[in-house]
Amino acid sequence: MATYNAFTQEWLDAWKQKIAESQEYKEIAKDWEGSVALICNADPSKNVPNPVYLFTDYWHGDVRDFLVCDEAKAQTGKFIMTGDYARWKQVAKKELDATKALMQGKLKLKGDLTYVVRNVKTINKVIDLLTEVNTVWPDDV
Amino acid sequence: MQNGYAGKFLDVDLTSGVCSSFTIDEARLKKFIGGSSLAASLYLERFDLQADPLSAENPLMVMNGPMVGSGFPGSSRFAMAAKSPQTGIWGEAACGGNFGPELKRAGYDGIVITGKSPHPVILSITNNQAQLDSAADCWGKDIYETTDLLKAVDKNIKVLAIGPAGENRVKFSSIGNDKAHFIGRTGLGAVMGSKNLKAITARGNQAPGKVNEEKYKAIFKTAIAEIKDSAFAESLHLMGSDAAMDLGMMTGDVPIKNWSVGEDFELSSRLSGPTLTETYLTKAHACSNCPVACKRVVIVKDGPYRTEEGPGPEYETCCTFGTMIMNGDLAAVIKANELCNRYGMDTISAGAVVAVAMELSEKGIISAAAADNLNLAWGNMETVMTLLGKIARREGFGDILANGSVSAATHFGADAIDYVAHVKGLDLPMHDPRGFHGMGLAYMMSNRGACHLQHAAMGMEQGMVSWPQLFAMQEDYDGKTSQGKAQLVFDSENYGILGNSLSLCHYLLYCLKPETVRDAFNAITGFDFEFNDLLICGARDWTLKRGINNLLGITVKDDVLPKKVLTALADGAGAGSVPDMQLLRDEYYAIRGLTPEGLVSKKKLRELGLEELTDKLYQ
Repeated sequence: MATYNAFTQEWLDAWKQKIAESQEYKEIAKDWEGSVALICNADPSKNVPNPVYLFTDYWHGDVRDFLVCDEAKAQTGKFIMTGDYARWKQVAKKELDATKALMQGKLKLKGDLTYVVRNVKTINKVIDLLTEVNTVWPDDV
Repeated sequence: MQNGYAGKFLDVDLTSGVCSSFTIDEARLKKFIGGSSLAASLYLERFDLQADPLSAENPLMVMNGPMVGSGFPGSSRFAMAAKSPQTGIWGEAACGGNFGPELKRAGYDGIVITGKSPHPVILSITNNQAQLDSAADCWGKDIYETTDLLKAVDKNIKVLAIGPAGENRVKFSSIGNDKAHFIGRTGLGAVMGSKNLKAITARGNQAPGKVNEEKYKAIFKTAIAEIKDSAFAESLHLMGSDAAMDLGMMTGDVPIKNWSVGEDFELSSRLSGPTLTETYLTKAHACSNCPVACKRVVIVKDGPYRTEEGPGPEYETCCTFGTMIMNGDLAAVIKANELCNRYGMDTISAGAVVAVAMELSEKGIISAAAADNLNLAWGNMETVMTLLGKIARREGFGDILANGSVSAATHFGADAIDYVAHVKGLDLPMHDPRGFHGMGLAYMMSNRGACHLQHAAMGMEQGMVSWPQLFAMQEDYDGKTSQGKAQLVFDSENYGILGNSLSLCHYLLYCLKPETVRDAFNAITGFDFEFNDLLICGARDWTLKRGINNLLGITVKDDVLPKKVLTALADGAGAGSVPDMQLLRDEYYAIRGLTPEGLVSKKKLRELGLEELTDKLYQ
């Protein structure tokens, strides 16, 4: 099975493909509109020397741009989620539920929280599919 | 009034009409702090525990904590307590609003009401003075009408009032504070009604002082910053407590069809916080001095369920009059909520007894004739509206349901009790223990019966909070396991129960760092408590109430979950999972220091300085 280094374009493409291939996702996310930027704070001790900016775009069950980007592009996201590397890794591995991380203040959300709550199933499905991507994390290298 | 306390308590003997005051020394305040903990201490010391809950001898207590009236976020809560007519054991409930702070401004930390007035009265408290006035104009009126009548005389008074349900001693009657906040659980409205006490009003202008004003100001700023930074607070502000509906349906928290179905996303979508916000919300409303403003103000402008603008349903109510009875019409939930508010009935127990009636009708245990020929089909909201009035007035079938779901099931016999989800006579709140086993244990061990507010198990187990500075916690608990949950519940009780003695809103306990709560408490009282001192007060509170319940006959036989939630669901996130009651109880008993019979041990009583209970339990 192919493996991908986290936060690379190849890794994002693999994640995007998983989502695009999921019929269950298409059904759950049929009402979702808009992009989600993910910002991972730098953590040199974990081999993340600089902040990471990712831009992911979803539209009524389809997936559009999935890009490693710069800060300016990330700031255009309809939703922007920010957190430390360790938290993102926990969330991506489903060791920490994204909603709980948000409520505990371990991830920060900029955007319409009501929309997120209404579509919490969509968010959980997207993360479920990320766990299916065989990922090598920076501090595991 | 320099340390958060007003410095005196009001004693009201309704039989003689005499009002007087008494004081409590600082050592005792440091042991019990305030709220329902202090009420339990007074109850044990001064009263006949064996008195009938609706007799003149059963006291009704209103209690503030030291933070009430301080202006600290979430500090408007006050507790009421008595032996419960619904359960026959220790009863208490708390609400936010504005009565607690006003009572303190009027010069009192609490009120102890005994006796029974020969005729309906109103207790009016104004700046260190209390008097009893005739309630002839208000008796028979609902809570909204009563509040409006009293405020027409003085718009600045704060009101506690009962409605027809309390007057008629419906066992799950509530007490309303200014038409917007309700002392809902354990039927304390019936205790008030049994005393012919229609309402209590308070008005005062004495600002409570703080020991360290400068330190308090700095902590206040920290608290506001923490609330602004909290996604939990933001979700409460935007969607109210019903923000929990969508996520709860996904995680197996939401009960459906009287606890028999595990998943219905169509229902939750129609009843959720976002839907309420988008449809019927007119504005958010805050308790006194709370920046979160989680309360909903709603209106249904037309249709069969038209309402006036008023308090909207909480999450619990959206379940009891929504998912639990298979009703997806949010307007009907709002109307049922308004009727319960006006009549003065707890929306959890009122909805629960209706759900039980619907299932018993479906199973053929309740005949059409027994139900006054009402159509008890699931989701029939026309019947629900009719039934709520019949319950409040104790008419026909409503009179049977007015005694609560356990009593009603006993009345109908057969295996009807198997359809009631209760612990110690109190209907389960709307969180399914099959999705969260820790909540099941918390229900089993809560001292007022099944309760979601005498602890912080929900916040901890569902991952809304992280308090590693207080005790060892996992970041993400698996709800569907019973392993390790005894420790979680024990810890969550010792901290969460403080909400009731400090008189601090549980939501704010979730939003604020524990050190902020501790420092604010210390700045106000000058007590200089460490975390451990607070947690010991929490443990003492729980143990005192357990000891009182032991004296009222509660033992291991009562620490059980109902069959409803020990039956696995076929679908949903909680499918196939049931709490391991034996494991949970055994581990919890060991941690809490209970004997195998469920009694508080002498050793634990000595450790917590509750020798007065030792004498009574082990004489």
